[in-house]
Amino acid sequence: MNRTFDRYASIVFLLLGIGFMWQSAKISASAYGSTVGPNIFPFGLGLALVLLSIRLFYEALKAKPTESQKEKLDYKRFFMIFAAAFLYAYFLEVIGYIIGTFLFLLFAFQTLERGKWLKSILISALFSGGVYVIFVVLLEGSMPGFPSWLS
Amino acid sequence: MNVLDYLADGFMTALQWHNLLFAFIGVLIGTSVGVLPGIGPMSGVALLIPVTASMTSGLPAEAAATSSIILLAGVYYGAMYGGSTTSILLNTPGESSSVVTTLDGYQMAKQGRAGPALSIAAIGSFAAGLFALVALILLAQPLSNVAIKFGPADYFSLMLLGLCAVSGLAGKSITKALIMTVFGLLLATIGMDTVSGVARFTFDIPILYSGLEFLTIAVGLFALGEVFKSILERDYIAGQTSKIGRILPTRKDLKDSAGPIARGSVLGFFIGILPGAGATLASFFSYIVEKKISKNPESFGKGNIAGVAAPESANNAASGGAMIPLLTLGIPGSGTTAILMGALIMYNIQPGPLLFEEHPQVAWGLIASMLIGNLLLLVLNMPLVKVFAKVIQTPAKYLIPIIIAISIFGVYAVQAQIFDLILLLGCGIAGFLLARNDFPLAPLVLGLVLGPMIENNMRRALTTSNGDFMIFLQKPMSLTFLIIAVLWILVPILLKRRGKEVVVNEEG
Repeated sequence: MNRTFDRYASIVFLLLGIGFMWQSAKISASAYGSTVGPNIFPFGLGLALVLLSIRLFYEALKAKPTESQKEKLDYKRFFMIFAAAFLYAYFLEVIGYIIGTFLFLLFAFQTLERGKWLKSILISALFSGGVYVIFVVLLEGSMPGFPSWLS
Repeated sequence: MNVLDYLADGFMTALQWHNLLFAFIGVLIGTSVGVLPGIGPMSGVALLIPVTASMTSGLPAEAAATSSIILLAGVYYGAMYGGSTTSILLNTPGESSSVVTTLDGYQMAKQGRAGPALSIAAIGSFAAGLFALVALILLAQPLSNVAIKFGPADYFSLMLLGLCAVSGLAGKSITKALIMTVFGLLLATIGMDTVSGVARFTFDIPILYSGLEFLTIAVGLFALGEVFKSILERDYIAGQTSKIGRILPTRKDLKDSAGPIARGSVLGFFIGILPGAGATLASFFSYIVEKKISKNPESFGKGNIAGVAAPESANNAASGGAMIPLLTLGIPGSGTTAILMGALIMYNIQPGPLLFEEHPQVAWGLIASMLIGNLLLLVLNMPLVKVFAKVIQTPAKYLIPIIIAISIFGVYAVQAQIFDLILLLGCGIAGFLLARNDFPLAPLVLGLVLGPMIENNMRRALTTSNGDFMIFLQKPMSLTFLIIAVLWILVPILLKRRGKEVVVNEEG
């Protein structure tokens, strides 16, 4: 059990609980024809979350510091792939599905293992083209295939 | 109409050629999902919801729901079976319900009996699946007849019981599990309130008015979370698989495993019905039972075929048993069934006691197709065992980016909003961090799915009682459920206090 994480998590959940309670106090308290308004449920839950996070904070304080022998995490590759995924998701509508997916897959394949360019290019092209053909051409789904300035 | 007529109608639905195809695809993908390390049944089902949604988009609403739930259920029990393959051949379980299978399965593989181990797992899964379905058919109608008499107060307490059961058994810390449950319920309140039409927690952002989409969060937390974990832990180097050899079990193998399969099926089914106790628990229990009643318990762990047959039957029977509370009460008892329920709600079909009356086509079509699917699983897996053993060797370095691409494609195909894609990636990181620090994810998804229903039932009950909370204690049914719910949380805590090992269920 990671104590530092638990402590931070309990603070985050505490703030979230308070936030939900504070915001639900602003919601109108009564609904037409009922004494029970839309604010009670989230308010109660917010309160429960506050109490539970205090309990978690207390547990994290009490827990014995355990030496975790977790192997070092591979942050570099993760951030490269995550950044690529973020850019891919963010610009999906601008650059279109086929180009975006192809570039993302190629980049991610090469990040995980360098070399074998031909295989990487082939798989990326087959996947992005294949999904597009099946989804848009056969199933008539809507998906921006190519950037609008190309077609 | 009696049960048999309904079942016959169900078979009419399930035997339509496109539904047969869906069941086939579901079972095939499910087995692959189970075989591939890194994607469990939960993320497999979550990933496929958007894919099935686009595949069935041409059909009328009810038929589309039937077809996609047939496919998704196929993935669910296919994955349950597929997990055994990696346990036996690689000594690494594909998902947590197959952990026990490694004990004897891998030993058998080392002795050159991998083939019989795999085929006994297939036969056991088939027998257990069949048993669970027959029991489901017999119990479904009576149970939903009881459930239909529940008032809103009873329903509220029953759902609370479901949530407590899942939280009480999920993961190492009950506090963390409860936090995740409450947080899931809170996330469900974001958006337009269905009763009063008031916008809650939207901060005037138009996208938030429709609430956070369940699908986006489930795919992010489970599928992306696991993928991020494999990248960060460099978990994408393939291991060495054992040779399979002859596939068919000998007559002695069959004789030795008949008893364990029967006991595993019954035990697994009843554990599966209980909310919170899922396939993982079922497989553990059945293994322990077999070891207890065996004449030579020391042979367990050294390649006893009963140690493969019993847990594999139990986990499949449990996945069948878990369908009962989902279909008859509308209460999912585990993460995977919560995701199935979310899929049904996406099609505007509300699981629960009215399901069998309002949408008999969906309910009975699903049951009939599960019978067919189990048969397909057996027919498919006996000859294809060697093919699936090859699937294990799919290089994960190609798989990981493709899973990310499928998640993004799937969410965009259903939601068509960049906002959901960003939320998806955020949930992926949250899923990784939370799971790594022992915050269980299944209760969160369960809270998210059950949130609106719990709230509606609570408010309906309180409206009839003029805001008096005592109504939940005055109705006898509701009171019973609440007492059980409290016990479910308290008993594990007390047991832990007394220093007892509590078996936890990590599959969710």
